Amino acid sequence: MDRASHLSTIVDLSPAQWTLSGSAPKERHSLDLQSFLSQLLIFLNSHVACKDQNTLAIFGALPGRSVMLYPSTTQAAGSNSADANTYRPFKVLDSTVIDSLSKQVEALDASETEAPVGLVGALTKALCYINRVAALATENDQTVAVDPRILILSVSPDQSASYIPIMNSIFSAQKLKVTIDVCKVYGPDSVFLQQAAHLTGGSYIHLDRPDALLQYLTMSFLPPPSIRQLLAVPTQDKVDFRAACFCHKRIVDIGFVCSVCLSIFCQPVPVCSTCRTKFPIKTLQRLNAARPTILTSAATPTSGNASTFPSSTTNRVATTNGNGPNPNGVR
Amino acid sequence: MPPRRIDPIGDESDSDVSIFDDFDESGRGKGKGKGKGIDRNKKDKGKGKAKEQPYAWEASYTRSWDTVQEDEAGSLQGAVADLIARGRRRRLLAPAAAIRRTIIRHLILILDLSSAMMDRDMRPTRFDLMLQYAREFVTEWFDQNPLGQIGVVGMRGGLGERVGEMTGNPQDVLKAISERHKLEPSGEPSLQNAIDMARASMSHLPTHSSREILVVFGSLTTCDPGNIHDTLAECVKDRIRVSVVALAAEMKICREFCDKTGGTFGVALNEGHFKDLLFELIPPPAQRAFARASSGAPANPAADLMLMGFPTRLPETSAAGLCACHSQLRSAGFLCPRCGAKVCDVPTDCDICGLMIVSAPHLARSYHHLFPVKPFQPVMSLEGTQNPSVGCHACAAPFKEQTAGAAGAADGVSPLGRYRCAECHNDFCTECDVFVHDVVHCCPGCGK
Ligand SMILES: [Zn+2]
Ligand SMILES: [Zn+2]
Ligand SMILES: [Zn+2]
Ligand SMILES: [Zn+2]
Ligand SMILES: [Zn+2]
Ligand SMILES: [Zn+2]
Repeated sequence: MDRASHLSTIVDLSPAQWTLSGSAPKERHSLDLQSFLSQLLIFLNSHVACKDQNTLAIFGALPGRSVMLYPSTTQAAGSNSADANTYRPFKVLDSTVIDSLSKQVEALDASETEAPVGLVGALTKALCYINRVAALATENDQTVAVDPRILILSVSPDQSASYIPIMNSIFSAQKLKVTIDVCKVYGPDSVFLQQAAHLTGGSYIHLDRPDALLQYLTMSFLPPPSIRQLLAVPTQDKVDFRAACFCHKRIVDIGFVCSVCLSIFCQPVPVCSTCRTKFPIKTLQRLNAARPTILTSAATPTSGNASTFPSSTTNRVATTNGNGPNPNGVR
Repeated sequence: MPPRRIDPIGDESDSDVSIFDDFDESGRGKGKGKGKGIDRNKKDKGKGKAKEQPYAWEASYTRSWDTVQEDEAGSLQGAVADLIARGRRRRLLAPAAAIRRTIIRHLILILDLSSAMMDRDMRPTRFDLMLQYAREFVTEWFDQNPLGQIGVVGMRGGLGERVGEMTGNPQDVLKAISERHKLEPSGEPSLQNAIDMARASMSHLPTHSSREILVVFGSLTTCDPGNIHDTLAECVKDRIRVSVVALAAEMKICREFCDKTGGTFGVALNEGHFKDLLFELIPPPAQRAFARASSGAPANPAADLMLMGFPTRLPETSAAGLCACHSQLRSAGFLCPRCGAKVCDVPTDCDICGLMIVSAPHLARSYHHLFPVKPFQPVMSLEGTQNPSVGCHACAAPFKEQTAGAAGAADGVSPLGRYRCAECHNDFCTECDVFVHDVVHCCPGCGK
């Protein structure tokens, strides 16, 4: 670790999901918010301790909004009550995070606790922050902190409505050479965050034992990406490359795509809702005819004659050939 | 470095002649008619200083370094702020609504490999510079047109030469143009042969994809076997859009190709301008005018609905299996969502069921064109704002206090350095304003 590294952490603070996580039976190794925060702070302290110049930013994704928890603009200057037993940077970090967190949680309205968390906001803020830090560093001719990274600690399920913003954030992260790591603490696997980690070269880890969070964090996420190449970091299993349709925000594995704007729909539509393009009636009939076959072939994955079907004469079943002489292309 | 400057001549009408004398020597008068017309039109009669007057094609290009001026204190800050302001205004002018673009693109890049490319008026030579920029162009092009395909054709020895087949893999294209010794310039170029070759390799394409030709042309002559206007007519018929970046001077036939097929034409003045001209062609073009004109008919013939599958990627650690495309035993790969067959790479058509398999991020790369962030409004004063935020909503950088006077309040620039999102009413700093609109394409406040 010869060069400084920057870490932006995004903490998913959905009250509803944390209640579920905390109330899961003990033998399922449940984790509540209280112990989550204390383990997280230990991890963040160790990041700060690794190297003097290491920098840190923490963003919270709360229901319906997102906030920056650290470094806070309203730095709690009054809390200088020096503790003889604590390293000062740790103390400042811990108290700032806890203070701003409790302020945010108090400000929460009981009615909005169910609302989906502002993950997109937190992610874009983290990117803006990294962009500014990098710009400042080049301006002042400092060596830019190598491989900035973002660690997302997620408990909420995917919100398919935020598919496009999340993808846009992923591409900006690629442009800035930011690695996105994802630690799924609770809940089902997230399709979008899997893609985020995969596309930016980060790790996606689903915790089997959430109560051992600190161990996962230190072993996998403490070393910066440049060092991780030398370590055996848990690798991603399957990556799901599915997308959300634009019409119902449903996650689909086979979609109908507008050739003009590439909008994805889960069923054939006569007019593209994004760019207002009208599609030929012929195509619609062909696609509608093909649909039942899709469903049945999905149910019975391998049909015997499929493998003997010569690939050179493969029917382009309702794919690209808009004017293809193949109105009922499916057998 | 600009190619040639007009000699200081007092009389305007004489200066026209001098250009064409120049052309006639080196270019056999190819650019004659057109250049004359433009030059006349653009003449600034009021000034009457012909020595200030560059070539016609230079007129539209202002060098950014010419416009930068130091202020009294010798600082460039004002000038830089001005440049930023101009960028902002340009964005404000851009249409806010989603425009139709052709996103599945097919491009044939025609590179001039004639002896004219050994000219050293661009450093190190036109040829080396062209190869270097072509590589950067290809990389960036695939970044912005993930489902596109590029083929490369060379022009030398009076023939068109297939340098790289049409492919969707950037690595293949880069490899084709990286072997410098195979592309050594020689002989005369033939525009007609090269365009005919490019046209032939795009004839089989489906109607909903765009067909484009980009010519990098360094010579001032073309050595054609037949009537090049026939080729032009064929291109118009096939709806192939031809764009030309010339390195020497304007040629009438080149401009005609661009004008008639809806492409763009430019003459590179120097290295930087050459790159600008190339890179302007990277963003997906708004769908061409005549396609829209014909959309009075019930449906745009170029539009279609396509069935696509989004695969699951298997990691290196999964159990090995035979792939459907090469029948090889491999562990990594992608599973077709319809038939479960394993393929090595995407995007591709499934070899078993014919479904087009693309990874969803490929498509998503172009979505920011569809849903651009509305421009932020500059905040001129804090009057009427309750509890103005202390710092930028995105990066938390503190805003500056009210600056007195703020002389540099060009339109579109906030004297406070605050830009407000019309949707969520959060304030952002200049840095984040630019970053949000140019890179992230998503407002951190409202996620739109
Ligand atoms: Zn849908
Ligand atoms: Zn569309
Ligand atoms: Zn294969
Ligand atoms: Zn298949
Ligand atoms: Zn900012
Ligand atoms: Zn907003």
